[in-house]
Order: sequence, then structure tokens, then C-alpha cells
Amino acid sequence: MVRVKSRYLLCEINVSDRRDLLKLDDRAVSGTVKAAVARTHGDYGAALCSIRFCVKYLNAHTGIVFLRFPKGCYKLLWSALPFITSIECCGRIIPCFFNCLHVGGTIRTCQKFLIRYNTRQLHRMLPKCKNEEEKRQIQKAILSCSLTGGGDEALEDELESEEEDGE
Amino acid sequence: GGSNAPHACLPNRQERQRRFPLLTVSSFPCVVATSLQQDVSIHGSECAVFYRQEPPAEPLGFSTVAINYVYELTTKKRQEVPSPVPISELIGQLPVVQGRSRPIKVLNRLTVVMSEASPFVSFPLENRPNDAEYRAFDLLAIQPTTEKLFHTSCMLCEVDIICISVTEKLPFFFKRAPINGAIDRGVVFEVSYASALRDSTMRRYTIANAVCLMESCKGKNVIVSSAAEKALDLRGPYDIINLGALFGLSDADSKEAVSSTCRAVLLHAETRKTASGIVSTRKSQQEGLQDCVGS
Repeated sequence: MVRVKSRYLLCEINVSDRRDLLKLDDRAVSGTVKAAVARTHGDYGAALCSIRFCVKYLNAHTGIVFLRFPKGCYKLLWSALPFITSIECCGRIIPCFFNCLHVGGTIRTCQKFLIRYNTRQLHRMLPKCKNEEEKRQIQKAILSCSLTGGGDEALEDELESEEEDGE
Repeated sequence: GGSNAPHACLPNRQERQRRFPLLTVSSFPCVVATSLQQDVSIHGSECAVFYRQEPPAEPLGFSTVAINYVYELTTKKRQEVPSPVPISELIGQLPVVQGRSRPIKVLNRLTVVMSEASPFVSFPLENRPNDAEYRAFDLLAIQPTTEKLFHTSCMLCEVDIICISVTEKLPFFFKRAPINGAIDRGVVFEVSYASALRDSTMRRYTIANAVCLMESCKGKNVIVSSAAEKALDLRGPYDIINLGALFGLSDADSKEAVSSTCRAVLLHAETRKTASGIVSTRKSQQEGLQDCVGS
């Protein structure tokens, strides 16, 4: 059976200032990745990047992106990601770095991993809670994490607000 | 921000260049509770940078961090070895390792940059590795700049890590003999990647020097670490493993460079302080030292 296979890279964009995260959009991220690949691997890398590369999902609240690469050359393109030091977006330069969390063959596996990862992050935030109200909110968000439910969005909002309070 | 000039004994030149503790260079075993698509749980290690109030090592998944102090030896005059700032002063509360309930371990590390042969150069590390000044540091690293010094540090010096310089073209070639001698002794070679993130020329030097090293040592006893000075210079363990492929390491060697070799360095450093790895001494609360048998 002939099937076109890709690799989906689950990356987290870490910025020093969380408010800058909200300004990201997928065109800026896509442009940054292509520029970094061209800088590191030259014309060959830029050509490989134009095959099937795209940003499939970007969550500005938590900084999670799904990048799709073709299966044959994803390692080469992935090796250019650590060299990204900033993203330029609507005239502003946001210093950041990409942290790859998971490589999956399909978006569904990446999503399953992301839900488990977010659950773990919420668990880690639990001891840092300052009052009972926040604790209950986190516990509710943990319980509602699932693949099909709307738990994902609730999780991310929880994640974002808790991290702002916790830090 | 965050510079507080803790090294009052450093000369001014150094203070100008490195005002705050550098990021740890070595990798340390860390438990990353995630897994790649092949469902291998990685015990990656890397040193993360601690930058005063903001420890980004926590979300990246590292379990040990070393704070690096650089000490340059020149022929001019005998300079004081910097004394490390106690960890509790630098960072308030240590974050917890991802997936475990232990907090991150933070160690101190000293990098000695040896530039020329001088009466002071061979003296500290060959003859008195357990000098009181060096005892305060958990890890000792050395950065030789000439071929002769490289040979001495591989075969004789009591260090844990030999740094390969990445900011300039290597002035000497690597020979198999001293490298094999170092591998037998358990000393590791280290490549740092933070300078490669800044500049294109630095990137070329880093990759060139790293590839040279890998050719001579066949990928054994190598660690990859960040010499980060800012929180944004850190990278996650999976990214570093992939970077190892750029340096000429195979997949397995690259994973080892971030995990098990780093753990080996930690153990080597601990046993360096003991007598043949069996007896260690610890300063008791009362005056004097007290011998205790421990590992």
C-alpha cells in the first residue's frame, strides 16, 4: 500500500516573556523555520523544506506547535531547529527557543501525547497553588482531559493562568 | 540582570567577560518522562543554566545542572582560584525534576583554561588535585590550548572533563594516543553548543572542531553541553541528541553523550575526591576532619 508518510514534530516555543507568546502566528513561525533551515543547510535544506513542511497547529496561549516534515528528511530539518534564537512577528523580534517534545507519525498520536504532557504539567502545578479555588480548578481540569472532550482547551487556559500566577 | 559579581577574587579582565556564573557545561543524567515515537524513555542529561530567579531547566527535563566558573592560568602571576558561591544563595528553591519528586541537583564546576606552559600550570592539577581550593568544586574541567598541554591533560591531569574549544579554529590536531589514554582513564571530552547558536562563524568552528574530535575518538567518552549564559541559550535534550548527529555522532552515541556519559562524569568526579573510590572524608561540625568510610 503506498501512503505518503510524514513526521509531526511537537515543539514548545519558550519565551522569556509570556505576553509575547500571544503575538505569534503560524506564518511567522513557518517563515522562521524555513529561514533557519536555509541558514543551516543551505539550498538543499531550503528545497527539502518546501516539500511538505507546514505548521499544522499553533497554540498561542501555551506555545505548542505541530510541525509537519516529510519522513525521509525530518532529522536533517529537525537539526536546524535548535539554531532558532528569535521569531520575527509583526515587526517585533521575540527572542525564544524551540524545545521538541515528541515526534509522531500522525497528528492523533501527537495529540494523545500532548494531553498526557499537559496533565503532567497540571499535576506539577498543583503543589504551587496559592488558594483552594485554584486547586479545585486544576483538579477539575485534570479530570476533564480527554481526546474527544473539550478538555484540551480548558487545560490550556488553566495552564496559562496558573503559570502566570505560579511564577 | 542577575549579575552580582560573586567572584571578588577574579581579575578584572575576567570579570568584564564573565560577570556571572556560566552555565554548566557538562551534561548530567536527567530523567525525561517523555518518550520518542519509538517508545524509548530517554535518560538524557545536560546541564542547564540557572540564571538567578529563573530556572528554565525545569521544563526542559534536566535533572542535574552544574554552574561553571572559569579560571584562566597565565604566566603573569599566580591568580586566585575563584571560590564558588553556595548554591542556596544563587537559587532560592530548586525546581523538581520532571516525572520525579526529587529537586534538581545543582553542582559547582571549575574550568581551568591553560594557555601556556608555566610553573603554575602543571602545578595545580598534576600534583595537588585535592587542594583545598579545588575541593570546593564538584567537577573539574580543563581547556588546553596547545598540543603539549592537551597531551598532559589527557594523560596526567586529575580532571573529569577536557573541553574542546569551539570559538576558534583548533590550533592542533588530535592524535589517537592521548585520546585513548584519556578514554582509559575515564576522562570525557566536551563540546559546547551555546556559541554556535549566536554566530555563523562560531557555528562553523564548533562543527569543524567537533567533527575532528569524533574522528579521533570514534564517538566514545563525549558529552555535549551548553555553555549558556542566558536562559534562552538552553535547548531540550532531544534537540541536543539530534545536534549530535550534526557533529558526526551516531544515534546511539549521541544519546549516550547526553545521558550515560554524563552520569559517568558525575561518578568520576565523586570518586576523584575519595581515595581509590572507597574512603571519603567529610568535614565535621567540630574542628578538624573526620574520616568516615563511604562511597
